[in-house]
Amino acid sequence: MGVASPYHARRALPRVARPRIVAAKAATQGEMGMRMLMRRGLASLVLACGLIAALAAPAVAQEKKIKIGVVYDLTGPFAGGGSDLHYLGAKIMIDYINRTGGVEGYKIEPIYVDAQSKPDVAINEAVRLIEQEKVDMLLGFFSSAECVPAAARIEQFKKFMWITTCIAAPVLEGRNMKYVFRPQPFGRQWGVSSTAMVAHYSKAQLGKDPKDVRIAIVHEDGAYGTDVAKGTAEGAKTVSLEVVLHEGYSATAPDLSSMITKLKRARPDVLFHTGYNPDITLMLRQAREGGLRFSTLIGHGAGYGVYSKLKETLGADASHIFNVDPISIWQANAKALRPELIPLIKTIGEDYLKAKPETTIKSAHVGMAASNTYLFLSDVLPRAIKKYGGIDSEALRKAALDVDIPEGGTMLGFGVKFLGEGSTMAGQNDRAAPVVVQYIDDKAWVVWPPSQQEREPVLKLPASSPYAAK
Amino acid sequence: MPRRLGEYRPDATRSENALNVARMFDIYLLEAAINGILLGGVLALLALGLNLVFGVIDVVWICYAELIMMGMYGMFYLVSVYHFPFVAAALISIGLVAILGILLHLIVIAPLLNAAPINQLLATGGVLAFLQALATVVFGIDFRNLGIRMPVIEIADMFISYARLLAFGTALAGMVAVYLFLTKTYTGTAIRAIAQDRQIMPLMGVDSRRIYLVTSAIGGGLAGLASCLLVLQYDVHPFIGLTFGPITFMICVLGGLGNMIGGFVAAFLFAEIISVGGLYLDLEWGYVFAFVFFIVVMFFRPRGLLARNS
Repeated sequence: MGVASPYHARRALPRVARPRIVAAKAATQGEMGMRMLMRRGLASLVLACGLIAALAAPAVAQEKKIKIGVVYDLTGPFAGGGSDLHYLGAKIMIDYINRTGGVEGYKIEPIYVDAQSKPDVAINEAVRLIEQEKVDMLLGFFSSAECVPAAARIEQFKKFMWITTCIAAPVLEGRNMKYVFRPQPFGRQWGVSSTAMVAHYSKAQLGKDPKDVRIAIVHEDGAYGTDVAKGTAEGAKTVSLEVVLHEGYSATAPDLSSMITKLKRARPDVLFHTGYNPDITLMLRQAREGGLRFSTLIGHGAGYGVYSKLKETLGADASHIFNVDPISIWQANAKALRPELIPLIKTIGEDYLKAKPETTIKSAHVGMAASNTYLFLSDVLPRAIKKYGGIDSEALRKAALDVDIPEGGTMLGFGVKFLGEGSTMAGQNDRAAPVVVQYIDDKAWVVWPPSQQEREPVLKLPASSPYAAK
Repeated sequence: MPRRLGEYRPDATRSENALNVARMFDIYLLEAAINGILLGGVLALLALGLNLVFGVIDVVWICYAELIMMGMYGMFYLVSVYHFPFVAAALISIGLVAILGILLHLIVIAPLLNAAPINQLLATGGVLAFLQALATVVFGIDFRNLGIRMPVIEIADMFISYARLLAFGTALAGMVAVYLFLTKTYTGTAIRAIAQDRQIMPLMGVDSRRIYLVTSAIGGGLAGLASCLLVLQYDVHPFIGLTFGPITFMICVLGGLGNMIGGFVAAFLFAEIISVGGLYLDLEWGYVFAFVFFIVVMFFRPRGLLARNS
């Protein structure tokens, strides 16, 4: 690092003083006078430097660091599907904390790595960060396909893992993880939430009782899509919606036209879709070309959370599409949040626009990662240092289990209380929940749950939409 | 779970089960079959250039789909950023990818012409990784599209994608054009001659280096042509090649590497299995059946459906 240690600075003083005495005996008077002056000057200079170093010593000693391995997909299909926005959110927050003095004397030293949208790379990078970079903990992870195996591997190392993004339940479910924590809601909550909304408004807006509403569930067949679809099926069963098609597909499939034909045959009123991106735009493009009609389209996060991309591909047809995700921090009810969070939300927005000036609607993805990163840096980490005496995995784990934040205590609106050992979802935030938003006229409106509703949902697509059921 | 078409349920009556089987043969089956033909057109177009290059130069361009990706980026920038008319942009993109094909030959393939096939494969595999990384650095990770919405053709409750139809028609036209070029022109005859015997033809006065360059340019040009049509159906991103590359290679092998007609037939067979298979079972099962078909063919005809004799 090139910073002189206080130990070496103090040792330098006697080394300079000793030769001064020996030399004084050998020199003539005149020479001695000059040399004395020069040496005194030199000695004074060294002494001054030593003093400065000694004074600076406490400050240098205070500059402790916590090395955090930050893992997102910066290349590959997941990057454009939202991972780069999560990376941006986490980076904005880490930079902000460092800019404002760090955490309890600790500077955050992030090591950003690219999982390349590949689970094997995510695992290898996590192991490299632990074994070679000697990180204290890991943070991030966008894709559930990476998260599920990476979490198990990191747990084996007994390293602390703070998940900002991936939502699939199998990351934690039944695994009794000790060091893996996720403040995010989990996948099945997405489907449960959206089906509840449809059932609530079906009679008024679709003119049908829930039991007569035909729904289709289509999803990418990775851990993320499968888990969300499972929640959708569970939710549909709870509120008595009729599932007429339930189908998975590979996110890299070059053609989805067979599925479109099948959907046409099934004639759903409501289409519940979970995908990343290019598969979302491919499906919607082929749905339009294939003449698929429905009343309502509900997307479940990932690519549906990046409205600018939907708009770019679908144009005006992106209007009235629903998306389920944790609330955008820029839409959270400011009156219900802790007051100190409000200026922070503004700062994150400004930094976001500085990094991506072309943004029209600020994506919820950035705020999600920023909020979850902030939660760790402002709550868990200080408690680990102050109450449990350090930043080792055990201290971080205890500090995380102590978190008890009521609703309104995070930028995402929800509270935080992690389920502990013995629970089937140990490490999961029990107070997290997603909301349903609807894109209308280039604005994202929170339409569900009623407690956070900005306006009522419009279940029927406008007649001008090529997808609208005739 | 909803009941699948054709599914037999012991608890249902005989007539209910019979009706469920009969319902399988409806208009949607016809639509799936047509979709399969159109997908086959796309895949045939992709396989055409790869087969031509292998047939003549005897080197597999593993990075073929990445050349298509570069062409798609060319189309995006020319049409969306520089506002070129679509046809002009297509001609420029075809030209640019043809030049890329020539450069690929001169820089990577030519020095390895006499090397072991595995070295040639590794070299073009390296180009694949290079082009992906280059596209990531230069174009970024965003998904891009032209924002062009093609019309839809509706016939008797069936919908046919105009973009797919265009790709299908172009694949047919491309196939005929390449066939005519190879059979009716002097250069085409020389290309066929080189393809038949690489050692003897140079002794008979054929300039093999020139022929290789022409073939690489045509192969690249066909990749460029494919890119102009794919950009109407797919978003372009640095890893779009992974969607098409493996399946294109499989089709070429299934048809008989280097055999253009074989590749054409294989593309339609493969696409029909995916499309119709995916209609009655999960979409992924369509791919499973297609791959099983591939494996079975490889057992009985290891050189492909319409393998060359030599």
